[in-house]
Amino acid sequence: MFELAGTSAVAEMHEDVVPKTCEAVWNMLPVEGMAIHANWSSREIMLHLHGEKLLRLPPEGPARRGTTAPGDIVYFWRSPQMSRGKQLAYSAEFQRELSELAIFYGDPAGGGLAADDPARSGRDLNLQVSTLFATLIDIPKPFAQKCEDVRHKGLQRLVVTRLER
Amino acid sequence: MTRVKIALGRVEAFAQLDEQDAPKSTTWLKEMLPIHGQAMHSMENGREVYLVLDAPRQIEEENQTIYQTVGDLIVYYKPAIFVRPEWPRHIRDFLVIGFIYERDSAIRGMSGPLATNLVGKITEGIDALAREAPRMRREGFGQMRISLA
Repeated sequence: MFELAGTSAVAEMHEDVVPKTCEAVWNMLPVEGMAIHANWSSREIMLHLHGEKLLRLPPEGPARRGTTAPGDIVYFWRSPQMSRGKQLAYSAEFQRELSELAIFYGDPAGGGLAADDPARSGRDLNLQVSTLFATLIDIPKPFAQKCEDVRHKGLQRLVVTRLER
Repeated sequence: MTRVKIALGRVEAFAQLDEQDAPKSTTWLKEMLPIHGQAMHSMENGREVYLVLDAPRQIEEENQTIYQTVGDLIVYYKPAIFVRPEWPRHIRDFLVIGFIYERDSAIRGMSGPLATNLVGKITEGIDALAREAPRMRREGFGQMRISLA
């Protein structure tokens, strides 16, 4: 379950497709932190993982080729050398290596600059991992609105917890 | 040579309008100034901050580029879905004025690069904007004002 500023949304994990990633994320939960809005991938908020919650997982499942849908939840890891420019909007610990949960909450999801920047994927050299591991069962409007608010009002606390298995 | 002041949150910067290569756009812009409103950060283009403009007149394509660079002051029609969470009923794009404050940015439409009118270049204060915009991403976006310097 994803709880953001008094709203919530429930996601279903894709254990049949990416079991190792799902297991790692499940074992890491609960996790919370300050979500920030994307600036390359359209309607997406990100929760950076740090400390004992930081995940460095290998690629799993079918390759993603820039097609992202609202409701997709992606595990994302980027090696330090893949950092693009200064990431001054991020806390210092995330400005190079980055591990995060990416929550796509509306249309357009994942388009924009991120979709057509082949070098950004780093897939072939394992410099970047992007695994679709869960999907929101639905996207309640209040939850989507709070995600949109992150873009305008700044960071908001996001809490991710286990619901049931 | 006309200079404009860009005030974003706590900082200021200055841009030189490109009246030679964008005479129509810069004439229109000077008539519009001062412009004041809620600053927005791009969700699709990287390090871009912009204002939505309320201008009834259609802005012609002029001095366009799809290769925007740091410090560019640009005017273009941005797809409405990148501004609002849904498509407004009768509106498909909004006229915006914005700037690029760091590399790794490019203006995109719904299906690829989007050409923008290059109306000026930020000549002073780009570093301040490059600090202020990320701060506002974390703490919330405030106002932006563009006026004659």
